[in-house]
Amino acid sequence: MENAELLQLAIAGLKNGSIYALLALGFTIVYAATNVINFAQGEFFMLGGMFAVFAFKTLGLPLIAAVPLAVVAVTGVGVLFEVLAIRPRRDGDQMSLVIITVGGSLVLSSLARHLFGSDALPLPEFTPGPSLAFAGAAIERQTLWIWGLVLIAVVALTMLYSRTRLGRAMRACMQNREAARLMGIDTGRVVMISFALAAMLGALAGVAVTPLTSTRFDIGAGIAVKGFAAAILGGLGNPIAAVAGGLLLGLIEQAVIPFSSTLKDVVAIVVLLSVLFVRPQGLFIRERKEKT
Amino acid sequence: MGRRHPTRSRVMAHAGLVAGIVLLALPLVLGDLYLVRIFTLVGINLVMVTGLSLLFGYAGQISLGHAAFFGLGAYTSGFLTRLGWPWVAGLLAGVLVAAAGGLLLALPSLRLKGHYLAMATLGFGEIALFFFTEAESLTGGSDGLREIPAAAIGGFSFDTPTLKYALVWATAALVLLLAANVVRLRPGRALRAIHGSELGAQACGIDTVRIKTQVFVISAGLAGLAGVLYAHYIGFVSPSTFTLNLSLILVAMVALGGMGSLSGAVAGTVLLTLLPYADAIIPGLSRDTVAFLQDWESDIHGLVLILVMLFMPGGIAGLGRQLAVRLRRTSRTAEGGAS
Repeated sequence: MENAELLQLAIAGLKNGSIYALLALGFTIVYAATNVINFAQGEFFMLGGMFAVFAFKTLGLPLIAAVPLAVVAVTGVGVLFEVLAIRPRRDGDQMSLVIITVGGSLVLSSLARHLFGSDALPLPEFTPGPSLAFAGAAIERQTLWIWGLVLIAVVALTMLYSRTRLGRAMRACMQNREAARLMGIDTGRVVMISFALAAMLGALAGVAVTPLTSTRFDIGAGIAVKGFAAAILGGLGNPIAAVAGGLLLGLIEQAVIPFSSTLKDVVAIVVLLSVLFVRPQGLFIRERKEKT
Repeated sequence: MGRRHPTRSRVMAHAGLVAGIVLLALPLVLGDLYLVRIFTLVGINLVMVTGLSLLFGYAGQISLGHAAFFGLGAYTSGFLTRLGWPWVAGLLAGVLVAAAGGLLLALPSLRLKGHYLAMATLGFGEIALFFFTEAESLTGGSDGLREIPAAAIGGFSFDTPTLKYALVWATAALVLLLAANVVRLRPGRALRAIHGSELGAQACGIDTVRIKTQVFVISAGLAGLAGVLYAHYIGFVSPSTFTLNLSLILVAMVALGGMGSLSGAVAGTVLLTLLPYADAIIPGLSRDTVAFLQDWESDIHGLVLILVMLFMPGGIAGLGRQLAVRLRRTSRTAEGGAS
């Protein structure tokens, strides 16, 4: 295979991979705060695209307003979900919470079908125009947007974690929730903010990728599996590992394409199962202490 | 989950049996073909949910991929009987393939708990769905397998709706009876012990790995059995049946009924299966209401999962137990007042 072709595959891999990275971050943030996998994470992704299409098409807002509005609205949905469905059983057993998020995923996707219909909905590119040439490969303009937004999100998140009081509280919860609570940290607030952040990152990913793929009410579960595969590939609970896992998963998927393009869709699941079965602590985490 | 007094569990089992017989007889007595069809579906779901209840409700091991085993049973038997295999052979093969799939998934998954197991089984379900869609030479791809012959034993063919109904319910009753005995005896106690505390169960000398593998395989095999019944009842299988949505509905049925209760699982199955066909049960229900229920079915399933976990973690069975306790308490205070 020629270098340009390889480069083209790598670009596609890093594009999808950065989307997976945002979802993986969502999983990781919620897991760190609650010790629960949020099965509704994919629905935030779906709703991001849906709300953006709604604001753009139905409300007639310009994209520059529709996109942030969609992200903010989905963040609100995330907070609402936490307050209504998670908070009442926040200290319940893990299985109940898993089932609640599974139920939340069903409800959110079906509600989206009622509100927005069951057709695939497109969104125009943020800045339409021809692809850019780079060393013999073509980069779509929207891909640059995706990379830019992911970069901003990761930098902002890093700042939040390292520079702010809230970030310190979140890291404390990540290490030991009970001890954090005893030190006077409002863990309930941390959980709510974690859901808000996860919803925001999911929505951001959904909005950024919709111009390329369009969106539908039932895409949440599929993308959630990929995001989770990325999170578990990197190592659950560690933001940097989540991003690395996302990018790696995107590249692995593209590496399969020359052999079989139909297999691309199950690569993430195969990766997920292999990591779960062989090395559940992830590739980039040396050891994992089972939190209780 | 609370442990029941053995005599009371027997009372509940009897109540379940009576309810079952009434359910069974009803459509035949009424001679309503619509009812017969719907209750055949209830019976098929019951076989599947009984298996899931053993795995999830009793042993506490979640599966979000049971549609895969259902599909494995349906496709295996459908494929083989279309080749001319007798139905009984197709049935055995279907159950075996599904059980083997269960074993394949159980062995590496046993170390996984809670949400990891949930994700692993979900992933398995998606891979199975991919296989059903893509392995066209075996499964007919997205068109599916058509003209699957009706079940037949020897020269006797179960080719009318009433006969199919009888076959499905005979199987469901047998499965329920076996399951009720399993959970009442030593293996059932072992399952509940694992649900309560795996470490504690180990300390009591229970080989938790073996028991968990067994219940996983049995559960998958029962889903496969349901798949066989389904394939020969409908006569047609296609990938759109064996989706994540189905797996989630099954979990909702177990959760609504109540973890660790077979009679609860029966109630949950009957209620949720009938939901989109409510007009068959409730006479005079307007068509709009039925259309609404069908349109909002997934929302209702999701809400059921959330609301049950939030407000009635014991499910229907738990409500029944609470009611019984309250009744006994009031009767006792009444006695106390008299003496």
